[in-house]
Amino acid sequence: MLPVLVVHGGAGHIPKERSEKSTAGVCSAVRAGYAILQGGGSSMDAVVEAVSQLENNPSFNAGCGSVLNVKGEVEMDAIVMDGKTLGSGAVSAVRSIANPVQLARLVMDKTSHACLTAEGATQFASAMGVPTVPQESLITEYSRMRWKKNLAPDANPVECQMGKMGTVGAVAVDSDGNIACATSTGGMLNKMEGRVGDTPCIGCGGYADNKIGAVSTTGHGEAIMKVTLARVILFHMEQGQSVEAASDLGLAYMKSRVDGLGGVVTVDPQGHWAARFSSLQMSWGAAQKDTLHYGLYTGEHFTQRIDVPH
Amino acid sequence: MSAVVVVHGGAWAIPDELAEASVDGVKAAACEGFSVFKRGGNAVDAVEAAVRALEDNAVFNAGHGAALNTDGEVELDAIIMDGNTLASGAVSCVRNIANPVSLARAVMEKTAHIMLTGRGANMFAESIGITTIPTETLVTEYERKEWEKHKNYVAGVMEDFNSHWAHDTVGAVAVDCAGNVACATSTGGIRNKMVGRVGDSPIIGCGGYADNFSGAVSCTGHGESILKVTLARLILSQIEQGKSVADASQLSLRYMGDRVRGAGGAIVVSPSGQWAATFTTERMAWAAVESDVLWYGLDPNMRLKEQFST
Repeated sequence: MLPVLVVHGGAGHIPKERSEKSTAGVCSAVRAGYAILQGGGSSMDAVVEAVSQLENNPSFNAGCGSVLNVKGEVEMDAIVMDGKTLGSGAVSAVRSIANPVQLARLVMDKTSHACLTAEGATQFASAMGVPTVPQESLITEYSRMRWKKNLAPDANPVECQMGKMGTVGAVAVDSDGNIACATSTGGMLNKMEGRVGDTPCIGCGGYADNKIGAVSTTGHGEAIMKVTLARVILFHMEQGQSVEAASDLGLAYMKSRVDGLGGVVTVDPQGHWAARFSSLQMSWGAAQKDTLHYGLYTGEHFTQRIDVPH
Repeated sequence: MSAVVVVHGGAWAIPDELAEASVDGVKAAACEGFSVFKRGGNAVDAVEAAVRALEDNAVFNAGHGAALNTDGEVELDAIIMDGNTLASGAVSCVRNIANPVSLARAVMEKTAHIMLTGRGANMFAESIGITTIPTETLVTEYERKEWEKHKNYVAGVMEDFNSHWAHDTVGAVAVDCAGNVACATSTGGIRNKMVGRVGDSPIIGCGGYADNFSGAVSCTGHGESILKVTLARLILSQIEQGKSVADASQLSLRYMGDRVRGAGGAIVVSPSGQWAATFTTERMAWAAVESDVLWYGLDPNMRLKEQFST
């Protein structure tokens, strides 16, 4: 059953013309992360690699391709968590960095803190020698078009948010049984400057514990925060629920209690995994025992050998 | 049902020279919070009023009296949460604001977001007419001296947290006559923290959580440890499993000690008015008002009472 890696490219509703790119991107991120696990690498290395690939892919709302805030700027959030130590690293509202997930990992590895924000995060990045990239290199034509559209007085950013795949993330268990999660996002379309969503908040955007499992979440950030979705799902698993049942219970609770939609990828220490969502779609992929699994709509589950090119 | 307010002034090795002022401060804040009920206020109003009183008191590390970061500046974190709707508001790393808890409440009530950080939080404060004050007015002579003394934040918090230089968070929880619960937490963070460091206080489920179905918690102690175990949410999940507020707090704090070797404290109220103030640090200044009785303490097992009078 081990190792295993599960990746998501965000929950929401994506236009048909973009769905193929999204599925392809997730599958290629799964392959890259899984190769690390097969080579004996750690779950932390695998989730950071998978999420970095999605950040570099302009089809996703993270790194390059991030949505823009109300001022037309890119501010990104990311988190990583190590299930062995419960150590975590996060950055919020960071700018001009290509791979926030890697910066989050540096916060975990190189500081005694768990979260750095805004200018402080940028200062830390330069102290670590992480190159600054021009903001323009993170902005796509598509993200700028959607930003402009949402400046209209009658626009509804919350509703429109679900019109694009959100946040990206990954969970993994390596051959040693160590569990990790990573999540990264450009946040919510036309958000206020300085808005921090669920992604960098431990227990909301993700959580990993070798004794229980790991979750990475996506969807309406404010709703995810209200119910601390990742932690709630793991509480259900501690009470004996399967990865699938726990994920569904968490998502159903979020819908009934605060009327929020989203999606999650979940693993447990034995290597059971689930990709579940209450939104219309979530692009997801998983790799286990040389098989690549992927899907986009509810109930969709394709498989193929992982060494067959997509 | 009778209303209850519980407040804490931080869990740490409070030196004798600050002991009396700390106890006086939490007593006054608890009374301030409770008097809000007499004026017809609800649980959210009560925790805000109590935490404002603590922020305004220079003895505590929040608002006026906050700890300085490595650059000698003040960066403040705060959260407030309404257990009725699970709505919450938070600010991280905000500067030049006397009462971050009130700014957090404005985020909850006046934006579509839950958390604002850094400059964005300050811009929001300005846009709603919250007065900006010079950093120096938030800094006490005591703090400036301590900061000079401990300029090198390198020894590691784990070893040092129980020694004499930590200076912690304030918070309040309340239940009103209608059975609504709320929590609020506010802090200047760890002395000599990196610029942009965000601790547990503004993170939902860590520094605080409130849910009318289980109760409200405000946490204090070593922030990075509280984050690792999402302490507030953990305590409430134990209550959901049928534990008393006191047992849930003790079990969770013990878990934090065993699993990540972190010390801290928590105050809890249940929707039915049960409450607890628990800590694993040397001391925690706390006070509670219920049914016209004012309870308070500082050392383990110290539980004094006097008549509450407005």
